[in-house]
Amino acid sequence: MKWRVLPYTEQDAFTNMALDEVLSQNKTPTIRFYGWKPSAVSVGYFQSLESEVNLEQCKTSNVDFIRRRTGGGAVYHDQMGEITYSVIGDLNLFPTGIIDSYKLICGWIVNSLDILGIKAEFKPINDIIVNGKKISGNAQTRRNGVLLQHGTILYSVDVDRMFSLLRVPDEKIKDKLIANVKERVTSVTQQKSVSKDELYNALLKGFTNGKDFELSSFTEEELKCARELVSNRYSQKEWNFMR
Amino acid sequence: MKVIEKVPNGKLIAMEVQFLQGKVSHMKITGDFFLYPEEQIKQVEDSFLELPVNISDAELSSKLQHALKDAELIGVSIDDLVRLFRKAVSL
Repeated sequence: MKWRVLPYTEQDAFTNMALDEVLSQNKTPTIRFYGWKPSAVSVGYFQSLESEVNLEQCKTSNVDFIRRRTGGGAVYHDQMGEITYSVIGDLNLFPTGIIDSYKLICGWIVNSLDILGIKAEFKPINDIIVNGKKISGNAQTRRNGVLLQHGTILYSVDVDRMFSLLRVPDEKIKDKLIANVKERVTSVTQQKSVSKDELYNALLKGFTNGKDFELSSFTEEELKCARELVSNRYSQKEWNFMR
Repeated sequence: MKVIEKVPNGKLIAMEVQFLQGKVSHMKITGDFFLYPEEQIKQVEDSFLELPVNISDAELSSKLQHALKDAELIGVSIDDLVRLFRKAVSL
């Protein structure tokens, strides 16, 4: 079995989510790396965009906002501060148990960070932690016999900026919450002095280790389908404000 | 009214519920949990509609089990949904 590997590219939030969906329309085992240009906030399938995201601040700051096809929480995707990945393939390639399948794919991230000398571990349900602090969040969906898992690896983190774009349930305790998140979240640069390129190379190695793979790029047909999904779904209020 | 709970070792779940003449007239469930398949959330929400506020925990649990048939809920449980509904009713 040969994995298709799509090297790091940067797109806007709508194209990013559309491309993940296009790739999961067939069962070709695929690993994709990407970034968000401009920066964006994504919310989980079951979240309320209006409750989770400061939409006015996003507009002022030129930050996109979008609903994902996957569950999980709201994520601020800083253009410079993270690398996102997606893994797609036939369900049969992965453990049946959802937590076990998270563990398998998150293990590739753990291995990647190990290459950089960062000791990380998988924390169920869907996190990766370093010294008890979260460095990566991940989300998975399973549709039509295909598994899609995507997630982010924090390269650098600006919690204050993150919370200027996200809403908190209770404004009165916002300062306390921000202090708490600063205690609970870390990033690659807080652990090691490495460049983003070094992180990416480690991820490429960690994800492909032991696999037969081929570097690839999007086909014209895939890009066309993605453009259609952007205009028909991901840029639409009906999708983004669905809940 | 809206009730929110962070499930210990699990995910956050919010229930936005309205009652009319002692029955559930509106239910929206949001949060950072996972449900496979995702679209099944509609059946879960619909299963609450028209339920009397004094429905027993056992009966509600059974209705939710039916709505979640062939689906997998991760990060929250049926017991959590029942408890949150009870909290909303008590407000």
